Amino acid sequence: MSDMSLSVMVVDDHPMWRGGVARDLEERGFTVPATASDAPGAVRAACAMRPDVVLMDLTLGETSGVDATREITGTLPDTKVLVLSASGEHADVLEAVKAGASGYLVKSASAEELIDAVRRTAEGDPVFTPGLAGLVLGEFRRMADTPASTDSAPQVTDRETEVLRLVAKGLSSRQIATKLSISPRTVENHVQSTLRKLQLHNRVELARYAIEHGFDQDED
Amino acid sequence: MTSPTTYLKALTRDPTTALWWGAVALRAILLSFAIGAVSVHSDDYQRPWLAWTVLGTMCVWTLLTSIAYIRGRWRRAWLVVLDVVLASALMLTSPLLLTEQMYAEQAPLITTVWVGAMPVIAGIRFGPAGGVLAGGYLAVGTGFAQMRVDLDVVRDGVLLVASGLVVGLAAEALRRAAVALAEAERAEAARAERERIARSIHDSVLQVLARVRKRGAEVGGEAAELGELAGEQEIALRSLIGTSTDLGQGRGERDAGDLGARLRMLATSTVRISAPACEVTLPDHVVAELEAAVREALTNTAKHAGSDTGSWVLVEDLGSEVVVSVRDNGPGIEAGRLERAEEEGRLGVARSIKSRVHELGGTVTLDTAPGTGTEWELRVPRDRPSRQERAEPNRSGKGARV
Repeated sequence: MSDMSLSVMVVDDHPMWRGGVARDLEERGFTVPATASDAPGAVRAACAMRPDVVLMDLTLGETSGVDATREITGTLPDTKVLVLSASGEHADVLEAVKAGASGYLVKSASAEELIDAVRRTAEGDPVFTPGLAGLVLGEFRRMADTPASTDSAPQVTDRETEVLRLVAKGLSSRQIATKLSISPRTVENHVQSTLRKLQLHNRVELARYAIEHGFDQDED
Repeated sequence: MTSPTTYLKALTRDPTTALWWGAVALRAILLSFAIGAVSVHSDDYQRPWLAWTVLGTMCVWTLLTSIAYIRGRWRRAWLVVLDVVLASALMLTSPLLLTEQMYAEQAPLITTVWVGAMPVIAGIRFGPAGGVLAGGYLAVGTGFAQMRVDLDVVRDGVLLVASGLVVGLAAEALRRAAVALAEAERAEAARAERERIARSIHDSVLQVLARVRKRGAEVGGEAAELGELAGEQEIALRSLIGTSTDLGQGRGERDAGDLGARLRMLATSTVRISAPACEVTLPDHVVAELEAAVREALTNTAKHAGSDTGSWVLVEDLGSEVVVSVRDNGPGIEAGRLERAEEEGRLGVARSIKSRVHELGGTVTLDTAPGTGTEWELRVPRDRPSRQERAEPNRSGKGARV
């Protein structure tokens, strides 16, 4: 897939940032069909333009990028959401990933890192920073520790934990592959598998919550 | 008459304002008893003119003090003391007025129940001790004025002391509550202000700093250096905002800290911190020691490895223990170098980190070899593994462990 055909939507409440990132992307041959500054606008624009990737900031004024992520990944299965967020918003990043975002990049990342991450996201690879690995590890341990949900809580295998720990300690896929004597592809698969378990569990929990509270009847 | 707004203003200044109004009303009601009693007995007194004079003084004095007490700034200590003394003095004119027959018939003293407001007023002004003191003083005065000590006099005395005590306690409770409320309001205002600043900083300063760092890195050269500086400031500022809201809520209420939040403050452009989204709650001294140990490991990396060496810190909460890994991709440490440094009498970084962690009952593993970087693993057991206890200070909701 060439970059020309990749469309990327930029969602950020800060005009200067939004414009700068859109320019960076366009300079490198991506199309930026739309930008948005809040969650409802992001959902509307995404549904209209169906971009390949949505670059999502999480703090959008009074609205939340987490909600927008949930709506977009829920209604547009072909659109990937890459969270491009400030480094201090750990809880929100975790929520966004659980809501369906395929990766997370800090705003201080260089333009090259950003372009690379957008490309990988469009190809369906998760973009995992060490910070996100730490958050995901913590989340699986928290769920395992919560007695109420142990029956349904997703379990990570020992190998997946091992891989996540190495990602969190800053090793690249290749370094991890060498260390564990597996292929880099297998490393990526392990990472993706943990992410899918987290997102699936989140959807199951949401559905269960909706059924318990009778929201399903109102919706359909 | 004071307008409602003045009343409200006074109420916000002095929390006991409602009590003062109550005391003034009480005294006015008690004065009407005195007027009635004196009118009934006016012909019986030894010196009727003196009785009317005393009654007149009581009326005028009640009016003056009522105005004074309602106007907040006249609730002076000396005025209350003068009030008590004058009331007792008026009461002690009774033996000059009441005839022996009146005493025998147990006719009321010239001041009747009017002095009953005095312990209340003293209690409001001086608290329970002042109320009791004024009550006791007037009880003794009643004894002298009645020129006897019997069950009635003692009962009156007990009532005077008790009313001073009760109202005094009420006034004190109101003052304490007002102080607590003012403090809470101040804290709330400070928190709101901090959040407002955090929001506006997020919206502008941080975004600009992030942008400067990004463009600087792209432009290269001197701009890259500036970008680097901007990036470090961005991280520092962001960490500051992230923790200041925590501190505002939690300081003083708990002696435990969030290790994740503390270590995130150490993030720079070359140091990445990974921690769970929920709080990793540990006692303050454990958090401080672990932070110091991590700092030492990072400083060691900065000293011995190149400036472009990356460091990664991972915080893991395993429930019964907390694991902190510090890894760098530098040249690694040669086998035996740390031990040699120790033998040579220099306080090696390894010894310092180990002693900190051993103090906490934990263990340290060092994994390093030339060319593979350095990895410290610090494991510290939890003293209080009880989940309820850990769930308690965890109010963020997202990170609650049940």
